[in-house]
Amino acid sequence: MDKRTTLLALLVAGALAATGCSVEKASDDAGQARACGAGKDFLIGMSQANNAEPYRQVMNNDVQTAAKSVPGFRVVVSDAAQDNSKQVADVENFLTQKINLLIISPNEAKPLTAVVKKAYDQGVPVIVLDRKVEGEAYTAFIGGDNVAIGKAAGEFYATTLLPDGGKVIEIAGLPGSTPAAERAQGFRDGIAANPKIQIVASQPGDWLREKGQSVADALIKAHPDVSAIYAHNDPMAEGAYLAAKSAGMVQRIKFTGIDALPVPSGGIKAVEQGRLAATFQYATGGREAVELARKILVDCAEDVPRTTTLGTMRITRENAAEAYAKLGGL
Amino acid sequence: MTDTRVPPPEPAVTEVPPTAGTVGPRGATARWLRRPRSRRELADRLFAVQSLFALLVVFVVAIAASPRRDGEILFLTAGNLGNIVRAVSEIGIIAIGMTFVILLGGIDLSVGAILGLSAVGTATLMVDSGLGILPAVAAVLAIGALFGALQGYAVARLGIQSFIVTLAGLQVARGIARIWSGGLGIPIAYGDGPQEAPPAFELLNGSINGVLPVPAVLFVLIGVAAVVVLRTTAFARHVYAIGGNEKAARLSGVPVTRVKVAVFAVAGILAAVAGVVHAGQLNQGSPNDGAGYELDAIAAVVIGGTSLAGGSGSMGGTLAGALLLGILNNILALNNIDANVQLLIKGLVIVLAAALQKLRRGIA
Repeated sequence: MDKRTTLLALLVAGALAATGCSVEKASDDAGQARACGAGKDFLIGMSQANNAEPYRQVMNNDVQTAAKSVPGFRVVVSDAAQDNSKQVADVENFLTQKINLLIISPNEAKPLTAVVKKAYDQGVPVIVLDRKVEGEAYTAFIGGDNVAIGKAAGEFYATTLLPDGGKVIEIAGLPGSTPAAERAQGFRDGIAANPKIQIVASQPGDWLREKGQSVADALIKAHPDVSAIYAHNDPMAEGAYLAAKSAGMVQRIKFTGIDALPVPSGGIKAVEQGRLAATFQYATGGREAVELARKILVDCAEDVPRTTTLGTMRITRENAAEAYAKLGGL
Repeated sequence: MTDTRVPPPEPAVTEVPPTAGTVGPRGATARWLRRPRSRRELADRLFAVQSLFALLVVFVVAIAASPRRDGEILFLTAGNLGNIVRAVSEIGIIAIGMTFVILLGGIDLSVGAILGLSAVGTATLMVDSGLGILPAVAAVLAIGALFGALQGYAVARLGIQSFIVTLAGLQVARGIARIWSGGLGIPIAYGDGPQEAPPAFELLNGSINGVLPVPAVLFVLIGVAAVVVLRTTAFARHVYAIGGNEKAARLSGVPVTRVKVAVFAVAGILAAVAGVVHAGQLNQGSPNDGAGYELDAIAAVVIGGTSLAGGSGSMGGTLAGALLLGILNNILALNNIDANVQLLIKGLVIVLAAALQKLRRGIA
């Protein structure tokens, strides 16, 4: 046989060996047939939609950190890179490994419904995070409430940020996305308490920092008397801050965001460093998912809550450092 | 599973042994029984089975590296092997069309977007327009063919490089898909009522005897047909001839324009087939799906030993390349290798395959 071909094959084999065929194999004594209970080993598959989104990377970190404190839990994480087909394959691979429990944050509901049902029908408990799947074939759903978060932001504007009223620019998320619609609706509910606050403009920034900057740039020039900018997430709020800074108006305008990720580039640090007046936590649910998994696998709980709605936390200058530590920031 | 190559155009005058000069898929067997007449021919023969051999080695390594559970090798379970082929079937079907284009000396970047467009088309036509499976699929394949043919025409008649034409095609197809669907995935519900697709379409999500997933079977059937086409038809000889030396092919009477249009149309049709399979597997037609699939398909073709310079390569190699990628993805996942490390390894494999091709040219 040709030497070079052998070389290729050997190099592939070497790459495989070097990177982890030496890793501990999925624990041999795990298996779905095994009952729940204390003192056993459990393999948990975490199927993530897209590691490229910081929020989802933090969700992975939360799951893995929480799982470390449960004896016997081993979590393996897969990344579908925003590809529905790949996420289906990821779950299939987990089932081949005979995982004891599946945590999934679906890329989209419909395409993942069938494979999640397959897992559930095989007796694997399924905890769905952040985005739902269709139908009833899952054990529990954990997610945030974007209307409540938007409302908390609106109430903060009405009572604390602009008690005497003022003009507000809204920089919204991706048009057509549910979180954008809900964060807009909730905010309007929240500011209703203070009729002197008016939204003078609302434009989509598609969740992106650079788009938030260009949109804010145009809107600030159109409304130079604006008092505050409400952005649907922290990166767009940061972008708006940069636009105001280059326009020399950063002292007169206040900025708020949403998400509050406990990472160096996240909103909590932006609040701590004085760029944003406030941000509102959109919890990942990672810790809660592992706690639920512990109840199911270790405590043998028969009926765990079907739906868990995560609360939010307001982060301002006063509590930013504390919140960063509490949420597991590095 | 082999094809020979047209002698490369460079250097301008080469001493070509008479046998190596004919791209005669006919009589291929007879050629295998003879002693090779030149080092190039010998090298060709060795490399013809290279990708198959690499596939075999990766398969064996995967068995060795597979996690075991209760003495059972997880990688070798029937369900897992079926999953591997199912998971790679869409990329594989696209890669078959891509092989024709690359043999021609071109590249097609639009296939991932055509997949998305076709998935949207399949869902819309069946759910909203109430078409049956056959009319809907036929319409979608026609769209794929037309899209590909238009691109082929632009390449052949306007003389624009295929990279640019299909880069534009990618944007256009993605745009049409988003406009057609309103930017959101169109869910496919099954039933007899209005706004429901015929239940038979759900077969794409099923498997034969519970082990052979339908998309995998479809991929293998199309693959075998493509191998036969590439080894026996005049069309295939024309493709090789144009990829080897377009000017010489034109002078010797090859209908270059027609062949180019046909090849891009075939790539478009196969991308549309992959889109139909995609919609059937996910019960949804999403306009954003298929992003980046063109690159995975190109990777499969390159790993299969087909040269991006055109004129040299084989369909069997592409099938082996796609399966190799599928096995690689699967065994990395079964061992829970970190997702970021997986990217590294996949990149490494593609570079190695390309390096091998370089060596091959060194021999010949």
